[in-house]
Amino acid sequence: MPSLVPDLARERGLYVHIPFCVQKCAYCDFYSLPHQLDRLDSYLEAVALEACQYAGLKFQTLYVGGGTPSLLQAAGLNQLLGSLGPIFDLSSVTEATLEANPESITPDWLQAALSRGVNRISIGVQSLSDSELERVGRVHTASQAMRAIEMTQKHGFRNVSADAILGLPGQDWTSLLITLETLIGMGLPHISLYCLSIEPHTPLAIHPPPGIPSDDEQAELYENSLGLLHQRGYLHYEISNFALPGYECRHNLNYWRGGEYLGLGPAAASHFQGKRFKNKSDLEAYLQDPCRQIEEIEDLPQSKKAGEEAILRLRLLEEGLNITEMIERLGDENLVGLMWRLDQLVKEGFLTRSGAIYRLKPEWALVSNSILARVLED
Amino acid sequence: MKNLRNFCIIAHIDHGKSTLADRILELTGVIHTTNNEQVLDSMDLERERGITIKAKAVRLPYKAKDGQDYILNLIDTPGHVDFNYEVSRSLKACEGAILLVDSTQGVEAQTIANAYLAIDAGLEIIPVINKIDLPNAMIDECRMQIEDMLGLPGDDALLISGKTGSGVPELLEAVVSRIPPPPDDLAAPLRCLIFDSYYDSYRGVIPHIRVFSGSLVKGNKITLKSTGKTFDVDEVGYFTPDLVPCDKLETGEVGYLGAIIREVGDIHVGDTIISPDHPETPEIPGFRRVLPMVFCGIYPISTNDYPKLTIALEKFQLNDSSIIYEKETSAALGHGYRLGFLGMLHMDITLERLKREYGQDLIATMPSVVYKVVTRRGEKSEEVMIDNPSRFPDPQFIDHIEEPIIEARIIVPKDHIGSVMELSEKMRGTLKNMEHPDKRRAMLTYEFPLAEIITGYYDKLKSVSQGYASMDYELTGYKPGPLVKVDILVKENQVDALSFISDRDSSIGKARVLIHKLRKLIPRQLFSIPLQAAIGGKIIAREDIAPVRKDVLAKCYGGDISRKRKLLEKQKEGKKKMKMVGSVEVPQEAFLLLLKMEDED
Repeated sequence: MPSLVPDLARERGLYVHIPFCVQKCAYCDFYSLPHQLDRLDSYLEAVALEACQYAGLKFQTLYVGGGTPSLLQAAGLNQLLGSLGPIFDLSSVTEATLEANPESITPDWLQAALSRGVNRISIGVQSLSDSELERVGRVHTASQAMRAIEMTQKHGFRNVSADAILGLPGQDWTSLLITLETLIGMGLPHISLYCLSIEPHTPLAIHPPPGIPSDDEQAELYENSLGLLHQRGYLHYEISNFALPGYECRHNLNYWRGGEYLGLGPAAASHFQGKRFKNKSDLEAYLQDPCRQIEEIEDLPQSKKAGEEAILRLRLLEEGLNITEMIERLGDENLVGLMWRLDQLVKEGFLTRSGAIYRLKPEWALVSNSILARVLED
Repeated sequence: MKNLRNFCIIAHIDHGKSTLADRILELTGVIHTTNNEQVLDSMDLERERGITIKAKAVRLPYKAKDGQDYILNLIDTPGHVDFNYEVSRSLKACEGAILLVDSTQGVEAQTIANAYLAIDAGLEIIPVINKIDLPNAMIDECRMQIEDMLGLPGDDALLISGKTGSGVPELLEAVVSRIPPPPDDLAAPLRCLIFDSYYDSYRGVIPHIRVFSGSLVKGNKITLKSTGKTFDVDEVGYFTPDLVPCDKLETGEVGYLGAIIREVGDIHVGDTIISPDHPETPEIPGFRRVLPMVFCGIYPISTNDYPKLTIALEKFQLNDSSIIYEKETSAALGHGYRLGFLGMLHMDITLERLKREYGQDLIATMPSVVYKVVTRRGEKSEEVMIDNPSRFPDPQFIDHIEEPIIEARIIVPKDHIGSVMELSEKMRGTLKNMEHPDKRRAMLTYEFPLAEIITGYYDKLKSVSQGYASMDYELTGYKPGPLVKVDILVKENQVDALSFISDRDSSIGKARVLIHKLRKLIPRQLFSIPLQAAIGGKIIAREDIAPVRKDVLAKCYGGDISRKRKLLEKQKEGKKKMKMVGSVEVPQEAFLLLLKMEDED
């Protein structure tokens, strides 16, 4: 079944990074700093300064992520969205998402979000097993998470998403099943299910707790989860993302379709006017001079960009990659090699092709790296 | 000619031959004090391994105590069993030999082998005991060993230290007084021995020669006895060790000639050079074409590098005509070459030099000996020589297989006899004789299949004897053996480069070890990969590589995209270093497994 969200590939998304957390989780390698909340005000001022460089830009989606954006509380949220509104053209924003952690969601914050036009909340639930949460250093309990979801829904948010992690220490199918069934039962239209990845230099890599499921066990958990979510009507629209029809995350879809986005804040990345660039991961430097933080600009040749877009689009298991559309946009000459490689992968049984659309077969989703690597240009 | 002396130094490896050569060069003023660099070993690799690979010659002016001026020609010889034939040709160019024995080690296997070669060549032998400056020198024992094991007068042995130089002046006097001058045969027609050669890109092949009769002048015509080919000599000269042109080389002299010889294949060590005016001049006895004993396949890691490899081999052969090579195609590895070597050391050195000096990234397959396979189809019987297991005939037509056999002489301290015998039995050795040349040691004579020696016997011998055993061997012929060919299948595809020949008894064990190692070495892939070993159609070992279950970039959005694309690009780079066998990516190390397998079990 094709996605109900149309491919508006040339959409533009705005991302704001909130690099603060109550406590760093053991698996996290994103840029976030605990115990710096006193700097929130000056941080939000810096974001507004950085935003001014791109004044007047028009966006279709907005996403405030982190870190923990719910730590902004009502005042911070009002300050942030209040300052961005006049700088950018946000009149066509159809999806505005805030990330939140269960322990810091408050009625005031939700109220402020609602009144500022936020229409989607993504909650970092991760698990509904207290022992699993504790082992990776989450600061909330399962019941706190459920209360946070209920509170969010009561405030009138229909489009609520939960992140869950597959492969947590101590996790088995029973505990994952309870987590997923509970989230489904609470009526969440969107679930992200990420495999635990042990990133170098994180506490999890340095002191791995016992009971991390093996790759084989994680694969079983993933297969079981696919079955369950499919049965309950969720579309497996991206390798790690599941949604009831119409609830796919537009902001993220834009990433996977190779669309434009602007990221504000330290460590935030952008894809703008054909170039990818990223701010330094340094809050101190950012506060000093938020407009001069870009650390590397990547300007790929067209044929490489085509490969990059292909590996992103193939993650969209339902929508797939429309080669005709890409040819129209990027030109024949940049896609010859790519098509040859895609057809080869079709022959070997990793992709399907129907008409102009190539798709990754869902059974290869969990081992997609080596397949996607072959999509890239030599 | 009476003031001319041609001699060489022969010794077991590491008994100090090159150091002594340096001292002699210093004493005769040819070189000034060296920084421990051995002049005659010019290749880096020789210095690293402490082995002299190619023979060379140096002309040394020497004023003896009798007040007369002499010319000494020191001819360097390789000291390893692989180069036995070359040694014998170098010896042929001399009238005498210094037989060097390390006083801390005593007579070793190669001392004996080299001494026998020198005795066979009719040389005057001066036994010399070296390293007498060391506190653990066993001079009396060495004298006895020289007497008992070599049949040479031990009491006459000179005592020297190559390191300090003590005794070396007396040794030079002995060279003059004990080694006879070359016989004077100036009036006879030209007759020279080629004992070495090298390739110069401007002047072609430069043969190193010893004149046995007549004389050779620039402008002469020469004929090669073995082929009848004739060349015009445009230069003659001698080594200092640099090439120094001179007017002529006379009977007894050692030097080189230049004659614009473009084909390396025209010059063979041991061949005789004569004058075209006297085609009846007899050849110098002992000439033969050297036959390679060990073969292996070499393949470029990247198939695009095949032309580069071809050029490297062509160049390489110019400097080492004992290497033979021909094109070979492997289903698993693509286009490559099959190389033939004189022995394992020769193979190791050649592969290393191809890598270092010619920048070649290579996969070398397991070395093989040359098997004699007798096939029978109905009444018709045929004999084929096969140096590549993958070319073995269909087993149903094989009547029997014969393999090359060597006789090895192993000298070992008595404490280690048990472990050496145990090892030798495991390697299919048959004990032929055991002698006790002195109180400490035994000399064992074994018969082995050559195949066992090339798959690591020597290293193991060293390890079970804590480095004390020494060995030398010679090929004695072919014998039938209970041999089978083991094929390796990766996901139902036979990998020709992994096939090996084994004796039937140990074939299953070897196959299991190999399959197990392959399983550990080949990374998990998207499909399950059965690994099998088979004799004929019969599977004798099997293990399966389970498919990879999780290899995914989970959180892929926002800023991660550039980084994650690079991650996948890196993964792709890693794949390029793999060889595709059917749909399976096999790391290059897999093709070396058989070699290593022996070391670790």
